[in-house]
Amino acid sequence: MLGFIKKDLAMVKSNFKLLGILVVVYTLMGLFGEMDISFILPFMSVMLMISTFSYDNYNKWESYSATLPNGRKNSVRAKYIATIIMTFIFAIITLLLSFLISYINTKTIPYEQTLISMLGNIFGTLLVLTFMYPIIYKFGLEKARIGIFLIIFGLVIIGGFLSSYLDLSFIGKTLNFLGKYIVLIIIIITILMVYLSYKISIKIYSKKEF
Amino acid sequence: MEIIISNSSNIPIYEQIKEQIKSKIISEELPEGEMLPSIRSLAKDLRCSVITTKNAYEELEKEGFVKTIPAKGIYVAKINLALAKEEAYHKLENILTTAITQAKMNDISKKDIIDIINILYEEVL
Amino acid sequence: MENILEIKNLTKKYPNFTLQNISFTLPKGMIMGFIGENGAGKTTTIKAILNIINSYSGEIKIFNLSHREHAKLLQEDIGVVLDDAFFPEILTPNDINNSMKGIFKNWDTKMFYNYLQEFSLLPNKQIKTFSKGMRKKLEIATALSHHPKLLILDEPTSGLDPVARAEVIEIFQSFIENVDCSILLSSHITADLEHVADYITFINEGKIILSKTTNELLNEYGIVKCTEKEFQNIAPEDYIKYKKNKYEYEILVSDKKAFKAKYNIKVIDKITLDDLMVLMIKGEE
Repeated sequence: MLGFIKKDLAMVKSNFKLLGILVVVYTLMGLFGEMDISFILPFMSVMLMISTFSYDNYNKWESYSATLPNGRKNSVRAKYIATIIMTFIFAIITLLLSFLISYINTKTIPYEQTLISMLGNIFGTLLVLTFMYPIIYKFGLEKARIGIFLIIFGLVIIGGFLSSYLDLSFIGKTLNFLGKYIVLIIIIITILMVYLSYKISIKIYSKKEF
Repeated sequence: MEIIISNSSNIPIYEQIKEQIKSKIISEELPEGEMLPSIRSLAKDLRCSVITTKNAYEELEKEGFVKTIPAKGIYVAKINLALAKEEAYHKLENILTTAITQAKMNDISKKDIIDIINILYEEVL
Repeated sequence: MENILEIKNLTKKYPNFTLQNISFTLPKGMIMGFIGENGAGKTTTIKAILNIINSYSGEIKIFNLSHREHAKLLQEDIGVVLDDAFFPEILTPNDINNSMKGIFKNWDTKMFYNYLQEFSLLPNKQIKTFSKGMRKKLEIATALSHHPKLLILDEPTSGLDPVARAEVIEIFQSFIENVDCSILLSSHITADLEHVADYITFINEGKIILSKTTNELLNEYGIVKCTEKEFQNIAPEDYIKYKKNKYEYEILVSDKKAFKAKYNIKVIDKITLDDLMVLMIKGEE
């Protein structure tokens, strides 16, 4: 399976330049700007991984990889693992940069706050993976792009509708109540989510015809 | 060893291979006990199929020109040269008989036949 | 003779195409050419053998093992070239080597780089910079570099010029110098197959029309050319197919010697695989 992961990582290798530029932009924004864009690196890494699907598709890697030993299962598994690896690498880079930026700006390092914000970023990034990958495996990248757009659009409308007609203060209260455990809960939810998504993808993929 | 195969000939390729090896054995260009190339390497070098060279060797073995020693290789067998030559003469007689019958049917004289043979003998390689 | 591949009654239904009761066997140490028109079912059959399509009936055995139950084991020993599927083209031969090292137990890095050199393929260039012929060569090099025992090749010579084709065919012949190895290769360039294939399997409209040794086909089959009058004297059981042309009848016979002995017809031509395909598909019974 290691071979499949190497293949996926090799595919984003050519885009490392772009990520390098983002690192610089992020640092400059942190030093001189106001906006928090700490989500950008982990998020871009998952976006790059999603773009590998279209290269795979173009050269029909899916049907070729199915002929390799354990190819069906391993190519799906590798996509998940490679994405998680990428997300973590860039989350850690972001974390270190944030420490650095804070230190330069204020001579103090807000460890806890930065860590939580990074956790939030990882959660958000893996949420994209959780929804996108099974859809991509089922319907292909093109349709999945439209699908994800509709999902986000729908969520915004529903969210807007709910917040204007309902009293949502209970969410804040619940979060306050959960307090310290919130970190643990987010981690558990993330792991469960990704695992479930992976299982669904495997199931979809194992029935595919090439 | 040289073997020349014609893909456009009407003679099957395995027969061409067989005949050429046979004539080399009869002419003692390939002496008794000489090791011959394996079925697969001969097929590769002649760019023909494995079954083709296999057939050629099988027929040569049936006619007693080569023998296979399992796990070692294919060797030129001990042959009775006189007998082999005799067989060649016999074949030639058969072919000439057909030719002469054909000639007689069409009123072609003995002298003409000999003339044709003389001309063809120079032409055929 | 031991068989390396056995297919029995393979059937697969698509909405507008059906693969019907495909059966043939490929013995050890042999090359089988798989011929047929585009859309006749070659690629579908190959995909079924490779276990990359589902829901078909019939039995496929490779190295005497059911290919579904032992899929992983078998995949280790099969080298594959598909018609148009391979690694994504933004990767380089170096990337392929790095990945394959982690995919095949028997991956042979040295062998792979030897092939790259033999085919003049630069290891650090992206596949997309390669010509079609170079890509095919890279696919073949990849298929050979994990010491497979069975090569399954879908149109491996398409896109290659005659020189490259000869080069590749020679590599295939070296491959079966090892008596345990076999090759199943589909091609529409029948001249390649006439020379080196030991067996020819011919598929048309989802059915196997014939599967025989190449020698049997080329030496025993023949094309009789005759006039209409002569044609009418020929018993229907003595020929397979016929085609009426403007000036003559072309008749496909399975035993040209027997035919010659029975009928007094002058022109009986040697057959090529192309002739065979055309007469089998376009001829009447």
